[in-house]
Amino acid sequence: MPELAFLPGLPVASSQIVWFGVLLLAGVLGGEIAKQAFFLPRITGYALAGLALGPEGFGLLDKALLRDLRVFTDISIGLILFELGHRIDLAWLKRSSRLALTSAAECAASAALIYWTLNHFFAVPPLYAVAAAAIGVASSPAAVIRITADLGAEGQVTERTLLLVALNCSIAVLALMALVPWLHLEYQGGWRTILLHPLYLLGGSFLLGLVASAITLQLIEWLGKHRDAQVLLLIALVLVTVGAAIALKLSVLLALLAYGALMRNLDRNHSVVAPDFGLTGQMFFLILFVLAGASLDLSAAGAGIAIGLAFIAARLAGKTAGVMAFIPGSGLKMRQGLLLAAALTPMSGLAVILLQDTESLFPEFGRALASIVLPPVVLLEIAGPIVTQLALKWAGEARPEAPEGTNR
Amino acid sequence: MSELPFKPSQPLTMGVELELQIVNTRDWNLTRGASDLLGAVAKAKHTGEVKPEITESMIELSSSVQTGHAGLLAELRALRDTISAAASRLNLGVAGGGAHPFQLWNDRRIYDTERFNHLAGVYGYLAKQFTVFGQHIHVGCADGDEAVYLTRMLSRYVPHFIALSASSPFQQGEDTLFDSSRLSVVNAFPLSGRMPPVDSWQAFEAYFSRMRGFGIVSSMKDFYWDIRPKPEYGTVEIRVCDTPLSVERAATLAAYAQSLARWLRLERPQPSGDSLDLVYSHNRFQACRYGLDARLIDPLDGASVPMPKDLAETFGRIEAHAAALDCRPVVQALLMGAQEQGNDSRRLRTRFKEAQSFPDVVRWQCGQWMQAAH
Repeated sequence: MPELAFLPGLPVASSQIVWFGVLLLAGVLGGEIAKQAFFLPRITGYALAGLALGPEGFGLLDKALLRDLRVFTDISIGLILFELGHRIDLAWLKRSSRLALTSAAECAASAALIYWTLNHFFAVPPLYAVAAAAIGVASSPAAVIRITADLGAEGQVTERTLLLVALNCSIAVLALMALVPWLHLEYQGGWRTILLHPLYLLGGSFLLGLVASAITLQLIEWLGKHRDAQVLLLIALVLVTVGAAIALKLSVLLALLAYGALMRNLDRNHSVVAPDFGLTGQMFFLILFVLAGASLDLSAAGAGIAIGLAFIAARLAGKTAGVMAFIPGSGLKMRQGLLLAAALTPMSGLAVILLQDTESLFPEFGRALASIVLPPVVLLEIAGPIVTQLALKWAGEARPEAPEGTNR
Repeated sequence: MSELPFKPSQPLTMGVELELQIVNTRDWNLTRGASDLLGAVAKAKHTGEVKPEITESMIELSSSVQTGHAGLLAELRALRDTISAAASRLNLGVAGGGAHPFQLWNDRRIYDTERFNHLAGVYGYLAKQFTVFGQHIHVGCADGDEAVYLTRMLSRYVPHFIALSASSPFQQGEDTLFDSSRLSVVNAFPLSGRMPPVDSWQAFEAYFSRMRGFGIVSSMKDFYWDIRPKPEYGTVEIRVCDTPLSVERAATLAAYAQSLARWLRLERPQPSGDSLDLVYSHNRFQACRYGLDARLIDPLDGASVPMPKDLAETFGRIEAHAAALDCRPVVQALLMGAQEQGNDSRRLRTRFKEAQSFPDVVRWQCGQWMQAAH
């Protein structure tokens, strides 16, 4: 045996653990640089760090590695959608029907304008334009949740932004599901598939969410109101539900949204302490944004810059019109309404997942759809969070900057 | 022209100010909601006033000038309904109680006005710790001399108001063991405490000009005393009460103050003199700490008297006056039934024992305040 066999061979074999650490490190540094040097949202820094590491940047993270790390994205998405679902407060919607109308108007107007813009100016065929419009309805839940938490934002604009995002994501997921029969028809699926596939997706995902929430409530009833134990229990059950949804070929998005929303609204004894995934949650957010940044396809954005900008403009106009229509009489000022509409701008992770879901079912259609939807996604990945952060700051809802020396 | 003119008002009229907690309905912590809520309330028609307070998690409602308990209660209920309706549209909770059970004081935000920013600059962390919620009761006085007289004579009854209104057993997520922990927060301010022993409005004005001359105060607002004359309103103002959990209890406490004032004004009982100064802090502490289980030292004979007995004896003295003011039954129930009914602090502790969760306690508090209409 050679005497120096204890030394590692060259080149040093890297493991996934190292890459995971590098990812985390780059994200942390990127986030703090963005925040402290440029007053940008941390998540913008995460995404830029990912972009720098990814295939479009220095190429430290290649596509194979990104696929290996996909499990972290799935977990993050699960936690985010669960938290988002938990934001759907049906009691509030019942008390304030105006709010439900705002949501409906905001979704309908943005979808209609996106459809019209794509179809009229860019000659996008109806089926593609409808699917793109459905994806455009959703705002990025991760961006909005993370920014409100980072800013410590509290107030009507913040609360309504979170609720509207929860609702527009749910509506986008359902709308795409409603397109499934149409797509099957287009791609010559049998009538059984046309009929049963959407029913399986919808019913199965909802049922999974219902079962998960019922089990959670039972366990928590028994566990009592210990915040830490509850949070760990929720994380565990979210993971199980994500895994089950993937295994059963159901919609992870819908199952987790339903889980969060049902758990909140079925909790008659108020036994669940408000979930706050704390530092664990933050870590997953960070990973999610770094990976999203690394997967950004800049060339797609470059090729479709015109369509991307038109898409974004139509979407913003639709969301603004929908929100403003119901501001008079809502107790909010016009200015707050405009800021609320602006805060809905981010569009990123969820859109990509909706695309991927579509692509996995209808590969050909999905790829074509991506060329329409990716340009605005890439542009908004960076710009969206900045707009939301400014909106919440201008609304006066961000926590005031702590004076020097008091690091909070 | 006097420096601090006392605006005479009709004797024994009364008014109430209540500071209220604004919480979110997700984890029931205090939240930044005052400006949104005030914006929503501004559009509704109502008597009285709804105003901002020092932090964004607090609003203050005040009644107009009332002559009796029934009118006051009706107005407070109407105000409560207006605020509750607006809050529920905004998905906010509004609650009574002298302190929020688990908010952390350094999370609070100062409501953005010149005066509040100034106070935050002067008092530093005390301004944020001042996130406590009190009831102020005003009783009208014919002139400044009467206000000074009532301020001094009502001091004897400060422990009653503390114990009967106490609703701040929890602070920062802890049981403080106090029934009213709110007053300990007030104690930290340099101008808290009692009015100095003056016996006429002229003497009070002289005192005030000296304090202003020193640059210590600029207006009456700077005194955080337990009881103070309020020359702009023409009243004596009792400031030791925690905001009760319901407007009903707030109105009853005001009726008790009004009955006491009538008795003092018409019968001019023997003042307790210097000995009250000796026992004042002791009795006040007893009431804050033990509430209705406190033992008070009688400044006249030095006897140690359990709170319920002192309340009952007081009722005997003022019964006729309560009757003359049409509030005998409520004052009787308040003073004679104190021990059995308990105060709001006891109710909060019971609730916590059942729920084992502070957010649950706050949710219950909101229910008490927003819907307790009967």
